[in-house]
Amino acid sequence: MRKLLATGIAAGAFIAVAAIVPANAADGDAQLSVLHGIPGMTVDVYVNGELTLDDFKPGTLAGPLDLPAGTYSVAITASDAADDSDPALGPIDLSLESGGNYTAVAHLTEKGDPSATLFNNDISKLDAGEGRLTVRHVAAAPAVDVLAGDTAVITDLSNPDEKVLNLPAGTVSASVAATGTTDPVIGPADVNVAEGVNTIVYAWGSLEDKNLDIAVQTIDGLHSNPDSIPAGSVGMVATNKPFDATGLWIGAGFAGLLAAAGGTVAVRAKSRR
Amino acid sequence: MNAATRNLRSLVAAFAVAALLAGCSMTATTVDSAAAPSTPSVAVSPAPPSPRPTARKDVRTVSAGLDTQSPQAVPPIRLRINDLDIDMTVEPIGLATDGAMALPENPADAAWYRYGAWPGSDQGSIVIAAHVDSLNYPLGPMARLPEAVPGTQIIVTTADGTEVVYVVADEGFVVKRDVPWADVFDRTGEPRLTIVTCGGEFDYERRTYLSNVIVTALPSE
Repeated sequence: MRKLLATGIAAGAFIAVAAIVPANAADGDAQLSVLHGIPGMTVDVYVNGELTLDDFKPGTLAGPLDLPAGTYSVAITASDAADDSDPALGPIDLSLESGGNYTAVAHLTEKGDPSATLFNNDISKLDAGEGRLTVRHVAAAPAVDVLAGDTAVITDLSNPDEKVLNLPAGTVSASVAATGTTDPVIGPADVNVAEGVNTIVYAWGSLEDKNLDIAVQTIDGLHSNPDSIPAGSVGMVATNKPFDATGLWIGAGFAGLLAAAGGTVAVRAKSRR
Repeated sequence: MNAATRNLRSLVAAFAVAALLAGCSMTATTVDSAAAPSTPSVAVSPAPPSPRPTARKDVRTVSAGLDTQSPQAVPPIRLRINDLDIDMTVEPIGLATDGAMALPENPADAAWYRYGAWPGSDQGSIVIAAHVDSLNYPLGPMARLPEAVPGTQIIVTTADGTEVVYVVADEGFVVKRDVPWADVFDRTGEPRLTIVTCGGEFDYERRTYLSNVIVTALPSE
């Protein structure tokens, strides 16, 4: 069982990638994905002084990377920078805990300034039949409601907050509207809240610049399994049929057998003493 | 010892062990640590030319649009094993209220576990199951499932009309009491078809089989 992580947001942190990354996840590593949610700005990402993401474009998601727990220094530069000496954002120290699953998001604040937020992804196991929907507001826009069909399922979500829902798995027709309204500023769009998956939906971009959009990240493998498949109730193909006349065991004849069986057990138990 | 006594003995034995077994309907407590999320492979992309520094690590990067969300399943709707005279409709089904996989009451119909893999998934076990028998219906086609042998052909038709052919694997037939359900419902590993029903000894008190009959088949080359 994975360590359950407290949900929440460590604000002010940003991208991390190890200079030397192991080929395979070791137990206790952290997983990190990176989402670029600042429109019109292709960037390079440096981690601990090393160029790690080159020409990283808006609306793209990088990772996940398996990283040893620890603190990473991250800087974001223009895409034509020769090094990280003149970052557009950062450098920022980012602390990743063992077993954690994180997404670092470069995005706009509500007022439209470039910023970054480290989100802690909920990777706790789901009940069989359930999916998890995480909604994150990382757009230059006021507080919003998230509607499923015509019903607000999340209200008053502000940048850079998130809301996590465990739902019966299925497709949701989702739209985003200014809080208290139902007129969509994003969507409606069909979102597959798949079973056993944390489907993370980001509202990003800028309301004022009319480039609001949805980004999606999925983390699978969080499912639980059925605990059995009971696929017979008569015994017609049993290898231990008491007699061939299948069905006759119901009733008095069976009661008699039970009594006899019980008696045999008692006798055998006694004889063993 | 006459035949009746022998039967009685086996019946007694069945009663004696029933309470201890995770049988065809009882809850198994197997936990599979391998069910943890898989790690996607890291795609390799060419590094840009100097003089600018090059990224030391190739990181998988995808467009995060709506098309990156989990794909919708294309359900299997028909299962045929011609060698065994099995031809069944298949419907997408999830869970019973007790945490078991739900099944159609009629043993003539099969269920596909709709949260797992489907034909066309690039990995994982496609689980199709059916009752072998039921009080209100005739004996089901799955009664013949134990006749499957390595090489037996299985044809699955999906909702979009595609027919996918599977072949029973070597050692692809088992009758098991303590089924490792995390393996049966595994969503990782090579694509495979897992057909499940009941069989083996029957618990006449709880009216349930003690074992599952499981056939594993691989996509035909």
